[in-house]
Amino acid sequence: MGLVKRKAIPPAEAAKPKQEQSCMELAACLEDADPRTRRRAARDMLHCPHAAGVLASRLNREPDTAVREVILTTLVRLNDPSAAGRMADCLRSEDAALRNEVIEAIGLLACDVSDVLRSLLADPDPDIRIFAVNILDSRRQPDVESWLIEVIERDAHLNVCATAVDVLCEAGSEAAVDPLLRLKDRFRSEAFIQFAANRALKRIRGA
Amino acid sequence: MRASPPPSEPVPAITGEDFLKFKEFFYRKTGINFEPAKRYFVDKRLVERIEATRTGDFRGYFTLLRFLDSGEELQQLTNLMTVNETYFLREEYQFRCLVDSILPEIVQRRTGSHPIRIWCIPSSSGEEPYSVAMYLMEMWSGISDWDVEIISSDIDTSILRRARAARYSIRSVQHVPALWLEKYFKGVANEYQLCDDLRQAVEFTRVNLSEPADTFRYRNFDVIFCRNLLIYFDDVSRKTAAETFYEALNPGGYICLGHSESMSRISPLFKVCKFPEAIVYRKGLEAR
Repeated sequence: MGLVKRKAIPPAEAAKPKQEQSCMELAACLEDADPRTRRRAARDMLHCPHAAGVLASRLNREPDTAVREVILTTLVRLNDPSAAGRMADCLRSEDAALRNEVIEAIGLLACDVSDVLRSLLADPDPDIRIFAVNILDSRRQPDVESWLIEVIERDAHLNVCATAVDVLCEAGSEAAVDPLLRLKDRFRSEAFIQFAANRALKRIRGA
Repeated sequence: MRASPPPSEPVPAITGEDFLKFKEFFYRKTGINFEPAKRYFVDKRLVERIEATRTGDFRGYFTLLRFLDSGEELQQLTNLMTVNETYFLREEYQFRCLVDSILPEIVQRRTGSHPIRIWCIPSSSGEEPYSVAMYLMEMWSGISDWDVEIISSDIDTSILRRARAARYSIRSVQHVPALWLEKYFKGVANEYQLCDDLRQAVEFTRVNLSEPADTFRYRNFDVIFCRNLLIYFDDVSRKTAAETFYEALNPGGYICLGHSESMSRISPLFKVCKFPEAIVYRKGLEAR
């Protein structure tokens, strides 16, 4: 017994996967009972055409967290704008973990998801609009401030506006000052909005 | 009248508020948390990047940092904010954790006598895998009952050659106890040559962690050391790496990250394990 060394890792040529699976086979594997098979299929679908739709449709039904993680990472790596809308459907799920995973994943998409964000910010459900603001927060897009300003200028819901103000605390500039003052005016009797907006104004003005 | 000296460029000032704003942002992005005691270290590097990017002041620089899509500037800054160095027995508490907490748990669960497998990535110049080997030989009584395989990988083939050569500077071995130094090294000129027994105990391989064609062969590991690597990756690459480690580990296998890294901020795939010596992450026992 002790430290042993052997050719523990076979050279790549000798250890190729049994056979490359076709995209149709991989799609079928996404429905397999074994989560390992589903996980590996989700990873290997990266190079399949139409993978985004197949993966996104599995996402809402997938009970295994590890498989979901791989599905979401592959969707992010695919960077297909059409997937963003399908992923956004999961924001209506009762599963809070899935919702958070989706918010994070859409935040990581490098492609333009403006249409999806616009639609989410116009959703009648304020929770969905809050999630949209969370996505804005997690995305590195230069126009985030103008989106947030639009939210605090137009949205009628206190919590949606409060979430946007929270993000403006970090992302806001002089351009957000007047909208924040108008927001304070709009929610004059709401102590929390007064507090949050004052905090954001203080941060922006560097006081 | 004396002529006044030419005006020099003012050094951009970092206020307390700027520091807090940056600290929060950097922590969210990298998991690295700077205590107020690190203020001088952080300010100096921020000023350096403000000047290099010609953004003029903290506000301009922070906007660039936050909104530059490529993440290039964040990477530049991260490189500056991290000390990229390695040496024998670095973050030794994790090796103590390995022998006092992790391995006893693994062998208790193990049925059969197949070897315990440890993967160190990145290998760099070999100090870490050789430290693991030395620590097991000196500090783990179980080494007489169990076979252990250590595989160490890096994307850089030149650094792997250096790792296999196993010749080190005085600085690199400065934390090795004198008795171990005498037992495992031989002085050659102003350097230290690791003995053949330990050199032969580690298998070095070239792996690109972001390439599934490279990583699919890495399976059935009990412990992975991946320290101070993921902080250099972007979010998607970090997630992909976490998923690779998940595939590579046996159920109940452990992953040890660098002290400033947190798997919880990368992926929900692993559970946090708070051992007396260190915080590490574990793949669920029920996972497949």
